[in-house]
Amino acid sequence: RSNRQRQAWPMEAVLGQVEQLPALLAVSRSALVRDWDSLTLDRALEWARYFQHLYDRFRARPQLREALGRRLRRSQPCPLLGFPALGRCPQLLGLALLENRALPPAACRRLVRSLLQPPGAGPASDPRGLELLARRKAAARLLALPRHAPGPEPQLQAEARLLLSRLRQEAREAAGQQRWLCGAQEGQEAREAAGQQRWLRGAQEGQEAREAAGQLRWLCGALELLPQPRAFGVVAAALALLKQGRGAEQAGDGDGDRDGSSSPDGYQESAAGEECTAGLLLSWLLGNQERFSAFCLCIPSSHLAFLAGHYSQLCRSYLDLLTGWGRHLHYDPLQGQWVKSCLDKAELSWEELRERFICLCQGSTPLKEQTQAALELLRTQDGDFRVRGLSVWTDLLMEVGYSCVDTKATGK
Amino acid sequence: MAQDTTVPKLNFEYWLDKAIEWGQATTLESQKDVCLHLPQLQEFLHQLYETIKHLGPTVAIQQFPLIGQLLGRLCWNPFVIGYDESQKTLMWCLCCLYSSEPQNAVELKANSWIRSLLCHLLSSSKWESNEAETSTFISALGYTSADYYCHLVKNMVVSLVTELRENQCNGFNIQESISASRVNAISIFCVPLITLPDLTPLLETLLLYHGGSSKEILSSEFLEAVNEAFLKKKISLPESAVFSLWLRHLPSLEKATLHLLDQLFSIQLNSLEEVARVIKDSLLPQAASHPAIFRIVNEIFKNALMETDGTPEVMTIIQVFTQLFLQAYQNENKQKFPLKAYFPYHHQPLVRSLVRHPFELPTTYWSQHVKHISDMLKAIVEDTNVSSLTDLFEIWFLVACFGDWLDIAAEQLLKAAVEPDPVLWLLAFYYCPKNENQQRTQTMVEAQALYNHLMTLFSCRDLSLKDLEAAVHRVTGVEQCCNQQLTTHLLTNFLLFSSGGHKIAQECIYHITEITDTSKEVYNLLIRTAYRFNRSGEENQRTVKLMNELLQKFTLKV
Repeated sequence: RSNRQRQAWPMEAVLGQVEQLPALLAVSRSALVRDWDSLTLDRALEWARYFQHLYDRFRARPQLREALGRRLRRSQPCPLLGFPALGRCPQLLGLALLENRALPPAACRRLVRSLLQPPGAGPASDPRGLELLARRKAAARLLALPRHAPGPEPQLQAEARLLLSRLRQEAREAAGQQRWLCGAQEGQEAREAAGQQRWLRGAQEGQEAREAAGQLRWLCGALELLPQPRAFGVVAAALALLKQGRGAEQAGDGDGDRDGSSSPDGYQESAAGEECTAGLLLSWLLGNQERFSAFCLCIPSSHLAFLAGHYSQLCRSYLDLLTGWGRHLHYDPLQGQWVKSCLDKAELSWEELRERFICLCQGSTPLKEQTQAALELLRTQDGDFRVRGLSVWTDLLMEVGYSCVDTKATGK
Repeated sequence: MAQDTTVPKLNFEYWLDKAIEWGQATTLESQKDVCLHLPQLQEFLHQLYETIKHLGPTVAIQQFPLIGQLLGRLCWNPFVIGYDESQKTLMWCLCCLYSSEPQNAVELKANSWIRSLLCHLLSSSKWESNEAETSTFISALGYTSADYYCHLVKNMVVSLVTELRENQCNGFNIQESISASRVNAISIFCVPLITLPDLTPLLETLLLYHGGSSKEILSSEFLEAVNEAFLKKKISLPESAVFSLWLRHLPSLEKATLHLLDQLFSIQLNSLEEVARVIKDSLLPQAASHPAIFRIVNEIFKNALMETDGTPEVMTIIQVFTQLFLQAYQNENKQKFPLKAYFPYHHQPLVRSLVRHPFELPTTYWSQHVKHISDMLKAIVEDTNVSSLTDLFEIWFLVACFGDWLDIAAEQLLKAAVEPDPVLWLLAFYYCPKNENQQRTQTMVEAQALYNHLMTLFSCRDLSLKDLEAAVHRVTGVEQCCNQQLTTHLLTNFLLFSSGGHKIAQECIYHITEITDTSKEVYNLLIRTAYRFNRSGEENQRTVKLMNELLQKFTLKV
């Protein structure tokens, strides 16, 4: 223990410094910068570089990382920045200052010169440098050809990856918090102070609940910044990415922030972390019936089928939703087809409903079986008719049955 | 200073006109035009930066009143911004125009405008309509535009790669196939981005993409630009992609071969290991496993040889290339083309004999093999009517490419018990292929005389320069160049391999090379022999030592 005490002293200084980061960023976005001169700016950028240096030093050391992360979170009203933000500090600060019109000319000039690498430094540029950013922006413009491929568009995917990255970071830090509390608890156990033990356990559970609620609130707030269809697209893309395996994605932000995959606990954490992240996204999605209904109308049916195949909660809710919509159709003998009965409640037409069930049946075998079982149950409940025109579920089953045969024939 | 400013000034209007033209037209033609001008534009921007960097904003604008217009327009052209280092230089130019103490409203406005441009380049932009919401969202997550665009570009690349690859598999499904014009457009848009590492998977996929049509779908600007970047080692591509590039675009292959030759001429040929390394790095020997590529490279080498009047360096390079090509060919596990595909117009048994690697055969069989080659060659050259000079040259070139056998022949003459005439004939043919005026026959006669003389001295332990005087005189006294080369070759071998030769070797060679013009030939012979010894392991340490000493002396001189 005396060893730890000896190490604690300089660490405490570092923790104190790290606490300043949110304030620094806040100031850089505010009108307070109008009093800055070139020297102040230099100092601010030096701080940013120092924070980046801390990141590079501590990223492979989980305990120190968590300590820094915890201190950082404590110093913010709403926990926006975590340990990885230290690595991104020069860009965060630099871009915030660049966009801040209150920055006086002299400081601005100094800023712009510091942001860019000196010319003639050669092509081996810092991957976190800003020239690369300008180049990539141009690349995004050039490659934005009309898309012929299926699946979410690249912009949605990029936003989804960043969202996932952030949520993972949250999960990791929450786990870190847990470990810290556990550690404290074990310490208490050793000293056999039972009352304190109970208190700590309670704190742990309370912490978990608070974390979950807090995260959900935060997620809601973040997604509200996007127009709803886009938010749905991002969440759908994120859920799809989670199931496409670790190989297809990059942990953390794109420039080599492979947090957690280096340490052995990191790997176990990340499997559980994925669960948590998915759970959080699903609770956002399924928690509000209107929202979920809008989501299902917005996202293409094939994509929904993919998600239903991988997330059982979503599958259940989706089937329930489709059931509800199906009930609003009635058979019109004059037209010889199913039509919407009450126009304000019915969302889907017969064709659309059929298409959705067909998509579900083109999914994985468990999904197909679950869908057919659900339809069969509904048919039974509706009178178990085997003739067309009496129960929408009977007719759906017949259509779906045919198309399943068809798809088998084409061998897809 | 005045000189410096006139150069970019001359082109200023030109580039401004170009920038205006590019801004207005969005056709494929104008895009191709941008791509063609990107390297020169980058150079111009660099010169511009060098000119204005010490001037200060006010003076710079006085000298180049249109600079704002130019830079502004260029900043909105994604081809320009995406290219290599243009964005860097452009941003530095903007920095130079930013005043730290604006004196008047105009300067304030200029500052504000520059900041907007920089923001446009680096963060929130008006290029895309939905970017405003995206940037708020990204900030709320705690990320910057740097993170976003990093992911975005990678995703776009993956999306395009998937589309192209799937289309290859669905080759028969016409409805889903991508049109040739789309692939062509993709290749043009990639031109500025070739050196961006994120794009490498897309470059690879494009190079390996084969649509249905027989015409080339990829734009030539793209293929040229990829080749340039590859030759300058600015990008690294998998071998299959490079081979595909060369197979579909002949100018690129030609450029690559000429580039290799330039590289090799510029380095001092100190050791063939170095030469072999450079050649192997170029990927040309490996690519030559495709007969079409082999034949073209061979043609280029032939021309190079003729243009340089057959200098020994070029011949040595060709010989090393051929060895490496054979190595790659023999290591090839997938479908191998028959030898006939590479040497279609030649007598196949001769080709097969030449292609046999010396190290595949036990040394005791070498003389037999050389005799076999010589007999076949003699039959082709003398008995059948090889009328034209071109045909003769072709045969000569074939044999010359396989230098190992020629060198071994000359060695075997002295070291082993051989029938000298076929071997001498082979060497005479190599050094003097033409025979209209009986030059080759004459050379043969000279060589026989020298050989007989040297064989008498071969086992003498103590030789002095005087003993070899007669032989040396044969070398230095003759007029005819090809005689000289052959006799020098024999004499040098004698000095290296005979018991008494090594003591006087240095003196003798010095003497010969002083008088005649054969130092290059001798030098090349020595490095070729050294290279062969390194690979096979010559047992005679004395010879190896002597050779290294001789080479050292040579490198000091040459």
